[in-house]
Amino acid sequence: MHEWSESQQMIRDAVRRFIDDEVAPQVEELEHGDLPPYDILRKLYSTFGMDEMARARFRKQIEAEKRGEETKKKSSGGDPESRADQAAATLIPIIELCRYCPGMVTAMGVSVGLTAGAILSKGTTEQKERWAEKLLTLEHVGAWAITEPGSGSDAFGGMRSSARREGDEFVLNGSKTFITNGPHADTTVFICKLEEEGVDLRDRKILNFVLDRGMPGFEQSGALRKMGLHSSPTGELFLSDVRVGMDRLLGGEAALSRAGGGRESAKGTFQTERSGVAAMALGIVDRCLELSLKYARERVQFERPIGEYQLIQDKLARMEVARMNLQNLVFRTIELSAHGKTMTFAEASAMKLYSARAAVEVAMEAVQIYGGNGYMSEYVVEQLARDAKVLQIYAGTDEIQIRAIAKDLLAA
Amino acid sequence: MKILVCLKQVPHQDARLDIDAAGTWIKEDNIKFEINSYDTYALEEALRIKDAGEAEVVVTSIGPDRVTQALRTALGMGADRAVHVKDAEIDGSDALGVAKVLAAVAKEESPDLVLMGLMSDDSNASAVGPMIAELMGVPNASSVMKVELADGKVTCERELEGGALEVVELQTPCVLAVQSGLNQVRYASLKGIMAAKKKPIDVKGAGDIGLSGQVGAGAAKTTIDKIYPPPKGEGAELIEGSTGEVVEKLVGKIKELGLL
Ligand SMILES: Cc1cc2nc3c(=O)[nH]c(=O)nc-3n(C[C@H](O)[C@H](O)[C@H](O)COP(=O)(O)OP(=O)(O)OC[C@H]3O[C@@H](n4cnc5c(N)ncnc54)[C@H](O)[C@@H]3O)c2cc1C
Repeated sequence: MHEWSESQQMIRDAVRRFIDDEVAPQVEELEHGDLPPYDILRKLYSTFGMDEMARARFRKQIEAEKRGEETKKKSSGGDPESRADQAAATLIPIIELCRYCPGMVTAMGVSVGLTAGAILSKGTTEQKERWAEKLLTLEHVGAWAITEPGSGSDAFGGMRSSARREGDEFVLNGSKTFITNGPHADTTVFICKLEEEGVDLRDRKILNFVLDRGMPGFEQSGALRKMGLHSSPTGELFLSDVRVGMDRLLGGEAALSRAGGGRESAKGTFQTERSGVAAMALGIVDRCLELSLKYARERVQFERPIGEYQLIQDKLARMEVARMNLQNLVFRTIELSAHGKTMTFAEASAMKLYSARAAVEVAMEAVQIYGGNGYMSEYVVEQLARDAKVLQIYAGTDEIQIRAIAKDLLAA
Repeated sequence: MKILVCLKQVPHQDARLDIDAAGTWIKEDNIKFEINSYDTYALEEALRIKDAGEAEVVVTSIGPDRVTQALRTALGMGADRAVHVKDAEIDGSDALGVAKVLAAVAKEESPDLVLMGLMSDDSNASAVGPMIAELMGVPNASSVMKVELADGKVTCERELEGGALEVVELQTPCVLAVQSGLNQVRYASLKGIMAAKKKPIDVKGAGDIGLSGQVGAGAAKTTIDKIYPPPKGEGAELIEGSTGEVVEKLVGKIKELGLL
């Protein structure tokens, strides 16, 4: 794949029109007011039939599962071309939304990608029907909680949240922080460790439980104040003696005897998350470049448009290089899905590392081109610069990506 | 029920328009195009009729290769098939030439309804709709704000000057040129866009519809002599000063002119 196909361009144009009409006028309220992003996201889903498509795909998978067929992970079927279109249809709304509101993509991605994704990859058929369908259609909001005050990059090692088994029940305790959608989630995947007598904390089995809003002992905080990404509510979760049955343990009883202690499947989640970051970065960079070009043409200093100065041209050229690279990474992601392939963990890490850095660098340079105006909220690049920064932190920090890439290189 | 929707592809509303070297049209290379906004309402109206009952919606457009994109968009929104009239011979046609081509397509398709926008965003002529009706020998209504169908008849509300509405009844087949804003135009769904690739687009030349030698620049009775931006107006007065001063002067001016 070397360019967007005609139908992909049509998807882009249609989504862009929706964003101009429905998102752009609300950015102020989303970013600086109290408007949660979910209703606009639901409207996006229903307008483009994304909810129906997700439901149909889900039903197909569940029916196959019930017939006892082995379901391939991305059984989206069809020829490579239609698989490419499907992958593009997921990525294009991410790119387009990020041109205005990367926070909305975070809220959407965590709900649909991470939370529903975790339930789909680890849950029993019953659990999928109970929770995943409503998440995939955005009818419900989901949160996926691994990070704790004492454990971030070392997510599993330092994790203290626990599940104590009492007969057929579990008693859950712990606290989570920086949880996207935490304040609004209807459904939360809570990741913790099984209390095992005589087993070192670092080696304990990892379990995933599904919690509903309002369960006794389960508290969801309000939104934390943060640097950027204001349209994505981020909060804390507190669990004290939350009692759940086996029906809420993802994978059911079998999860207790699974090898690898549940660490492997979480890695799969990290991987999907990382490949979405290239699309997010592309949206941010594309908009920053567009705004920068506009300003470079219009802003006159020393009697010339600033775009005539080589120092400004250098910034614009670098932005274009980043945009091309990011677009090629997105094309590669689409191409891989078209052929039913996935990226290696190290490649996904490399892509995430590059994308996050490119987005931050470009957005900061856009602020620079805008000068004082760039520092003012009115000119938008300020928001994009604050928002871009998170790409270097969540879904694994830059340092953690570097570690994964180097580990893979050195092992070879 | 068969509905033919005529669409024109026009420069995108955000496109930068530069006048070409001959000074008779704009430079078309490197600009984005879209479906004429008035025509999108016509398409939406056709799709609503289809949603409400049984109807085949056929879209047609005249123009070079780029027009495929407009037709695909219409197919993505829900039209069933498309007829693309593409022929260099048609270039330079005036409104009558365009109407001849569309009427010829309509005669082949023999639809119950021909729908289109009241005018095009680029030439603002409002001529083609009534001309097609005349060429087909069928009734026509322009500036249509509401369409209702009942056994072989169409009841339309038309917008008149000053906001009044007129109700007219037409026998089908007929040609309706719709006003903007008569409905809310849908977005193509992602599934619809992906399905549009498989819907047929028939490509036809002037000869295929029996118009060879009758359309195009040679047959045009109207030609564009010149396109130019209006000269800068005179008599504007620029009020300068701080916000407070500007407001004061402006209020003074309004009073002076007796506007309040
Ligand atoms: C807006 C936002 C939304 C989030 N959403 C979610 C969510 O929905 N669910 C969820 O579970 N979590 C979420 N997170 C948490 C996020 O995944 C973590 O913040 C991230 O993994 C980093 O962990 P930490 O904050 O504890 O930093 P730490 O791990 O404490 O890192 C501090 C610094 O040390 C560096 N460092 C750590 N270890 C090493 C090492 N071995 N070598 C070199 N350097 C190292 C890091 O790179 C970083 O620079 C979110 C975070 C943010 C900011």
